[in-house]
Amino acid sequence: MSGIDFEYAIKKDVRNNPIVREVDEARQRQLLQTVVIGGVLSLVILFSAWQRFALLGHGYEMQRMQQERAEQEEINRHLRLEVETLRSPARIERIAIKQLHLIAPARDQSIVLERVTPSAPPEKSIVAAR
Amino acid sequence: MADEHGGRFRLPWSGSAQRILRREPAAALPEWRDTLRSRTLICAALLAAWTVAIEGRLLYLQVFQHGEMMARANRQQLRTIKLPAKRGEIVDRTGHVLAYSVDADTIAADPSEIQDPEGAAALVCHALDDCGPQQRQTMTERLRGKGQFAYLARQVSPDEARRVKALELPGLLFYKESRRYYPKKELAAHVLGYVGLDNGGLAGLESTFDARIRGREGKMLLQTDARRQAMSSREERLPTAGDALELTIDEYLQHIADRELRIGVAENAAAGGTAIILEPATGEILAMANWPTFNPNAYNASDIVARRNRAVQDLYEPGSTFKVVTASAAIEERVMTPADPVDCSPGYITFGSRVIRDTHEYGVLPFIDVIAKSSNVGAIKVGMKLGAERLGRYITRFGFGQTLATDFRGENGGIVWNSDRLDPSALASVSMGYQIGVTPLQMAAAVSVVANGGELVEPHVVRAFIRNGRREEVPRKVVRRAISEETAATMTDIMEAVVERGTAKAFAHMEGYTVAGKTGTASKLVNRSYSKSDYNASFVGFVPSRQPALTIVVVIDSPHANGYYGATVAAPVFKRIAEAALRHLGVGPTLNAPPPVIVARHDAHTGGMAPRPAIAPVTPPRAAGLPPGEMPDLRGLSARDALRTLTRIGLTARIDGDGFVTEQSPEAGTRLVRGDGCILRLERRAVVPAGGAQQ
Repeated sequence: MSGIDFEYAIKKDVRNNPIVREVDEARQRQLLQTVVIGGVLSLVILFSAWQRFALLGHGYEMQRMQQERAEQEEINRHLRLEVETLRSPARIERIAIKQLHLIAPARDQSIVLERVTPSAPPEKSIVAAR
Repeated sequence: MADEHGGRFRLPWSGSAQRILRREPAAALPEWRDTLRSRTLICAALLAAWTVAIEGRLLYLQVFQHGEMMARANRQQLRTIKLPAKRGEIVDRTGHVLAYSVDADTIAADPSEIQDPEGAAALVCHALDDCGPQQRQTMTERLRGKGQFAYLARQVSPDEARRVKALELPGLLFYKESRRYYPKKELAAHVLGYVGLDNGGLAGLESTFDARIRGREGKMLLQTDARRQAMSSREERLPTAGDALELTIDEYLQHIADRELRIGVAENAAAGGTAIILEPATGEILAMANWPTFNPNAYNASDIVARRNRAVQDLYEPGSTFKVVTASAAIEERVMTPADPVDCSPGYITFGSRVIRDTHEYGVLPFIDVIAKSSNVGAIKVGMKLGAERLGRYITRFGFGQTLATDFRGENGGIVWNSDRLDPSALASVSMGYQIGVTPLQMAAAVSVVANGGELVEPHVVRAFIRNGRREEVPRKVVRRAISEETAATMTDIMEAVVERGTAKAFAHMEGYTVAGKTGTASKLVNRSYSKSDYNASFVGFVPSRQPALTIVVVIDSPHANGYYGATVAAPVFKRIAEAALRHLGVGPTLNAPPPVIVARHDAHTGGMAPRPAIAPVTPPRAAGLPPGEMPDLRGLSARDALRTLTRIGLTARIDGDGFVTEQSPEAGTRLVRGDGCILRLERRAVVPAGGAQQ
């Protein structure tokens, strides 16, 4: 192939400017439909994926919160145990006698206060807040 | 690098361009296109084969290997974890916690990851509080094991776990286990019992009600990711918490019983002792103390003898306290009346070669004094008159020779004679409380028969079960009527005589209260013969005797100081317990009692809905003779201080509220007339009186 032929092949003017392809409306509609369906499908897939990842995220969050709640409840139990330990009558008496130098009242130093209402518990009841 | 056309380069489109130039048809494909096509086909075939292989593999895995793959996936992604049920708490009658469960850290290890077992054991042991050479050696041996799991220390304190974690040793594992704690330590230890490392009850109520307290563990399915981090969870079965137990024990009374028993045992150089406080009408055990005792938080560190609940497991010969049963039987069977004379001379009685003596020669005594002075000869004569069959029947009626309290596993039923086999010597022994084995709890229940008017009430320590907030009360259970009310009243007189003028006169008498009781001193059986040095000293009684609030039994084992008699050893302990208990329960004096100070009770939970109780006036007996003066400023004083001040100047008072005096009527400084009343309004907020500092 000579250089002239090559140049001719490259530079040959194709005079097809007046030729205009007819717009195929049916194909346009099909294209639009395809694009719309594709878009919707993509959105559905994206939404589904987002849901999935959101669910995972919430799952992690729930686990974390449940663990935190369990830890707080356990701390509460430990604190209650500590309170009950500090309420020990033997401990209180020891502190009263040794640190505060208190003594038990003699008989003539004490008055018996009788309660008007009986302290008996109800027969059957809901025990609240125990 | 010239080609066949003479050009230096072969352009990719050169073939097409030539074809265009030559105006050749496209049908004849060039060689390179064949090559391309064949290669493309090969690629496509490979791709197809690869796809088919993958699809085939997928098909194989997902269809034919479905079950196995699912199982493997579940093993990797799903974890079933147990949700341990918390053991139900144990509270006393006022709601104070006696036993409680919290999570504790357990330290374990994977021995395959431990390079230096000895060094690791030494480091861990150093971080623990009470780790001795033996535990260290055990740790080392466990770490040398071939398994992948070994316990190092279970249920350690948070501080210990923190210290071990700080070591950052590879291969150490930490997890939580539920641990039982007894915040009041030795308080009611024998009643509560203890639990083992596996959270199972081993003794006491923890063992008796283990099935109810333990609860039921739950199960949770956990989905984890590649990092074993939980993604989601599903509770397959919720854990069911164990029932809580509400005991009849009063924490403070238990403390009093513990304290006074400990002092009593120490003062008398005794080997041990038992004290029980019982509510005679209901059979509720308010306190059950034993010495020696133990700390259930560290029960392994205590001696097994200290862990024994003497009150229900140990038998002793009750000695003269058992004369209450003999006397009750005699009165009920109309064999004796309190005034009937009994000849106790010459101070001893013989059965073959056996001689039973009184401490003094009493001569002829009325039956009431036979018991009051605790004459063995008199009691034997009454027992002989009663006969073996009738005495045996009353022994059973009073609950001896049988287990009474279902709350205590391992309760000893006691040893009693078959009445058909009672010869005169044995009958004599039984009449005065020998050759019969009873527990202190049985003795308390028997004396409560007299106290409550003749009914044998089952002693119990569980007041209610609480499940999911619902309280299920344990009802009072009457086993049988042992004696009539009249006999019980007569026996009360006789037992009062013991304290007023009998053996316990100087030891159990309580000013202001009527006390009914009986002393007992019994020689201990050592090596099949009665010891001359070891005795069981006991006192059993109830106060106030005319309206009994408490039955108290005190048994001191082998006292070796201050004598060995029940009167000198056990009765003072009884008295101290009774005084403190009556003060705590607010039981006023019954002899020459001043009118009681009665204040309105304002419970927080009534929330103002309940009608306010009537407020009775305070009558001052002691300060009536004081001249009336001006009304003092009581504001800022506590109710007790205000009442004391008013009593001193001879005023009566009405009290409304709790806390400190915030308002008073009449006002401070008002001229008073004797017999005037005063109204005090109390609030929790303290008010400093205008006149000066608070008392």
